[in-house]
Amino acid sequence: MISSDIVIAFVSLFIVFIALGFYGKYWRRGDLNHVHEWALAGRRLGTTLVFFLIGADLYTAYSFVAIPSGVFAKGSLYFFAIPYVMLTFAVALVTMPRLWTLAREKGYITASDFVKDRFGSTTLAIMIAITGIVAELPYIALQIVGMQAVLTVMLAGSANAQMVEEISLLISFIVLAAFTYTSGLRGTTLTAIFKDVLIWITVFAVIIVVPLSIGGFQHAFSQMKANYVTLPSALMPAYATLILGSALALYLYPHAINGVLSSESAQKLRTSTALLPLYGVGLAILALMGILVFAVPNAMHFLSGFPESSRGILVVPSLIMYTMPGWFSGIALLGIFVGGLVPAAIMAMAQANLLTRNIIKELKPNITNNSEIRITKISSTVFKFIALGFVFAVPATYAISLQLLGGILIAQILPAVICGLYVKSLKKTPLIIGLLAGIGSGIYMLEAANNFGALTASLFNTGFGAIYIAVISLAINLAISFGGSYAINKTQASKMEKN
Amino acid sequence: MRIKKMYVILALLILVPTFIDLGVPIYNRDSPELLGMPFFYWFQTLWLFASAGFYIVFARLKGNQK
Repeated sequence: MISSDIVIAFVSLFIVFIALGFYGKYWRRGDLNHVHEWALAGRRLGTTLVFFLIGADLYTAYSFVAIPSGVFAKGSLYFFAIPYVMLTFAVALVTMPRLWTLAREKGYITASDFVKDRFGSTTLAIMIAITGIVAELPYIALQIVGMQAVLTVMLAGSANAQMVEEISLLISFIVLAAFTYTSGLRGTTLTAIFKDVLIWITVFAVIIVVPLSIGGFQHAFSQMKANYVTLPSALMPAYATLILGSALALYLYPHAINGVLSSESAQKLRTSTALLPLYGVGLAILALMGILVFAVPNAMHFLSGFPESSRGILVVPSLIMYTMPGWFSGIALLGIFVGGLVPAAIMAMAQANLLTRNIIKELKPNITNNSEIRITKISSTVFKFIALGFVFAVPATYAISLQLLGGILIAQILPAVICGLYVKSLKKTPLIIGLLAGIGSGIYMLEAANNFGALTASLFNTGFGAIYIAVISLAINLAISFGGSYAINKTQASKMEKN
Repeated sequence: MRIKKMYVILALLILVPTFIDLGVPIYNRDSPELLGMPFFYWFQTLWLFASAGFYIVFARLKGNQK
């Protein structure tokens, strides 16, 4: 079934990818036995490299799998990803240079380092680290689901497809683990550039070839139901809060902060952040594929061979397979495949930093520099395989919904990490209670919205219509953090007066 | 006075794209179409370029400030 030119293109480019990953060790040499050299590439990345590295965080399986599959199944609502990326860079442009400057002055490597120093609370710092690690896991799992989708489409119809798929995934992860272990962030940055070149070629080719071959967008949209053409007005609050909640959450993810801190200067960080909305153009094109695919009968016929719940994740790879020549499909599918692999590596590294610096080191302070770097490298490997095991054990559709839970969790560290950069009056105890209340209410609303069953919805019905849960629980969290800090400051002030 | 004016400009460079972004009713319509694409889709896609423009000006001004 599977044609040889696809496989040849796919495999040979994967070999180039591996070579680049290992070559990273020699690129801009530094002593990789230091954590900031391994994990932040020595804080020496310029405008272009930060652009690609943070772009790699954005162009993940979230773009290739979650968003097109959402548009495919639910229509215009999932186009929220485009205004979301626009807004998230505004948030980053204002806040992240400040975090970068503090981090450079005081040697922070994680957000948790900052929180510990700023609020003098180990408890809060550890809680922030745990939230980061947990929120990252479903995000990594989503990357693996994306890689699985590519393999499923490529191997469809061949014998032992399931087994070949699992072995291929396992091999890819061993290779990935090996080069992140030796090359650190240098290796992943180089592979991020490689991946982005392939993705941009794919995106532009598809957006030119597909509309031409199906008789224009007009034809594709004329067949769609109304909720695919514009947003039903009942969903406008949902759309706006999905934009807001996701935009506030993205730069709180440990891997995003890691990318920010690897920048060479605050101004270079500003310039690359300002240009990053351009990446969203590719995301918009990918989202449109969720609609274009309806006008490609061969691809629809292929998708109908799969259960309804797993069709969405196969939309982009199968659209490519059925509209592009074989050799090009091989290149494009490899782009999507490593498009999951590279972010997974960056995310696992960020988790490992948090675990070692902000949890293990807190509990065992007299750890040597050498063991710190060893534990970080080993745990980044372990996190990758935890996520892989998770994907093998849990059905794919379920893993995508879990990414929404990641967003709800990570948004709750905003009061300490972002507000903490500006507001002097914030106190640690209300922040701890706010964080717990935000996470607790978020999980409760998520469970309630899904009737305590499998996670498919992330919107909660309120008097104003359906609203993204992350925004509601963040509001609760902010109210407690600021209200509590205000009360503490007030009582302290009145005590001072009495004395 | 000078400094204040600068802060207003910087704030507007961030707030204008944000307002349009979150003002869903502004762009939630199907016409005018562009190459057969409903307004909702093409406007948000092209607005990415405009907001990058706003942000670049912000980054430049902020960099010159120091």
